[in-house]
Amino acid sequence: MNETPTTPTLPSVRLNANLVEIPVSARPDMRVPARVWADEELWQQISRDRTLPQLLNVATLPGITGSAQAMPDAHEGYGFPVGGVAAFRARDGVISPGGVGYDINCGVRLLASEVEAAELGRSRLEGIVHDLARSIPSGMGQGSHLRFAKTDLDRVLAEGCSYLAERGLALPEDLKTIEAQGSLAVADPAGVSERAKHRGGGQLGSIGSGNHFVEVQRVETVFDLEAAEALGLWVEQVVILVHTGSRGLGHQVCTDWVRSMDAVMARHGIQLPDRELACAPFESPEGKKYFGAMCAAANFAFSNRQAITYAAREVFRRALGNGGHLRVVYDVAHNMAKLERHGEEDLVVHRKGATRAFGPSHPETPEAYRRIGQPVLIPGSMGTASYVLVGTDEGLGLSFGSTCHGAGRAMSRRAAKKIQSGSEVRKALEDRGIIVRCASAGELAEEAPHAYKDVDRVVEVVHQAGLARKVARLVPLGVIKG
Amino acid sequence: MSPWHRWVDHTSEVQLQVGAESLGGLAAEAGRALGLLLLRGAAAEPAGPPRELAVSSADREALLVDWLNEILFVAETELWVPVEFELREASPIRLRGVVRGVPVEDAPSIVKAATLHGLQVEEREGGLQAEVIFDV
Repeated sequence: MNETPTTPTLPSVRLNANLVEIPVSARPDMRVPARVWADEELWQQISRDRTLPQLLNVATLPGITGSAQAMPDAHEGYGFPVGGVAAFRARDGVISPGGVGYDINCGVRLLASEVEAAELGRSRLEGIVHDLARSIPSGMGQGSHLRFAKTDLDRVLAEGCSYLAERGLALPEDLKTIEAQGSLAVADPAGVSERAKHRGGGQLGSIGSGNHFVEVQRVETVFDLEAAEALGLWVEQVVILVHTGSRGLGHQVCTDWVRSMDAVMARHGIQLPDRELACAPFESPEGKKYFGAMCAAANFAFSNRQAITYAAREVFRRALGNGGHLRVVYDVAHNMAKLERHGEEDLVVHRKGATRAFGPSHPETPEAYRRIGQPVLIPGSMGTASYVLVGTDEGLGLSFGSTCHGAGRAMSRRAAKKIQSGSEVRKALEDRGIIVRCASAGELAEEAPHAYKDVDRVVEVVHQAGLARKVARLVPLGVIKG
Repeated sequence: MSPWHRWVDHTSEVQLQVGAESLGGLAAEAGRALGLLLLRGAAAEPAGPPRELAVSSADREALLVDWLNEILFVAETELWVPVEFELREASPIRLRGVVRGVPVEDAPSIVKAATLHGLQVEEREGGLQAEVIFDV
């Protein structure tokens, strides 16, 4: 066992200022080349841990097409690197639970208010942040304030946000600006175990731990006026960014299915360089059943963010009365496998810590955004900027319509804690006028801004590379951490 | 070999190295390490009656991961963090032990799952060693 991760010297070719390729000849078991979207500085950062060996492992999986890709925020994970994108032919390729990850449909939702930061004032802002922290449970195992019977949970899994609309927890117009309208029709709750329902069923409407958060933010800069106008965003506007996923339910679905896939790989003649990449042919009974279960967990995650939206709306209504409406700008996943048509081929596109970014002409881009492209929401690390971008038509051919998902960690939690304690992180944020609500000083230290890459640089790479277009930069006013 | 464990740096996750004389000892030490991690520095004084945990798997690597995931499941769903383990059965495909734990008010934070990534249970220095990455 080696304490220091080592990256073997790999042959690589810089194709342009923002893209590096590792040729298919780098390892005899690779089926396609690997591509990393990064400028020179990010490339050096990405090369330091096990991101590249993990990406090359992905390039060996059956049915992979084009290239295995890493986004500029990529870092080592467990199996797929975080920030990884891989597309597999549906007809003869695989689907991998580890390629989606344990937090199925971890994603981001942006809510736009109708007020500006100055209108709120400090005192009212503090009240809103406090009320949000009180109304939205945080922490990993923290349960929901909402109560759902078991039959309700099955409907959440099968129908996602459309069921929440039926229950009065979503507005009809919300569904128009959520990826897949917040409801994946192929979801199959039968593939979700009773253990998964038991572990996470009571957590709908809660944030969870780690890097998940709800932030009250201010639109600081608009880069693209036309797109911002289409999204209903303007400078100084107060917005809410929600970053969370499928909680314990999704974690258990992935645990169950990694175990199941691991057991059937030999029967399918699949050999892997890493068991965590456990997979099965997409068209096999196991592949289809996992896909249905994953989509059910994804519906749970969309619904989780919807339930948080409901709670946030109540908070804004209490604070601002009729002026407290919050509109869903968009909701997008960054841990997901989707069946998508690319050219003449149906592909199972795995995005593990990567965001779908379809352009204006893609049929899945919401009607309201057909002039500008699908919104892409990039949460910064706690206390740093977040971004709104839009997808490009060009990106479909470059990265299967994918882009980064955040700043990307640059150092371990232990290393981050050595630099600043939780109370020091809290003070540094408060000195910048940011209101912080987080019960755990340890988590604050682990998620400190210095633990992450420079989000501005990461976003600049995807903008320059043409994978997505910058629209607006958001800065935090208040942070509620899981 | 006395049982031991240590946490090593990983950019985004949590990585455990663990060693013991036997497979049972390895499972007990890995379980104890995970329990202490879940408690995040809170007192690890077991209380209440012991209970039995058991898992069966295809091989000893999967067995260790399944054992740790069972501990996570119990901790999160029963608000009870296992910290003391007495293994009664430890074959390469089955672990069974009597476990004592710490009741907690909130489901413990941090860990989503133990993973199979790069996992090998290796015979070294007169005992067994393993390295497990947890998704956090």
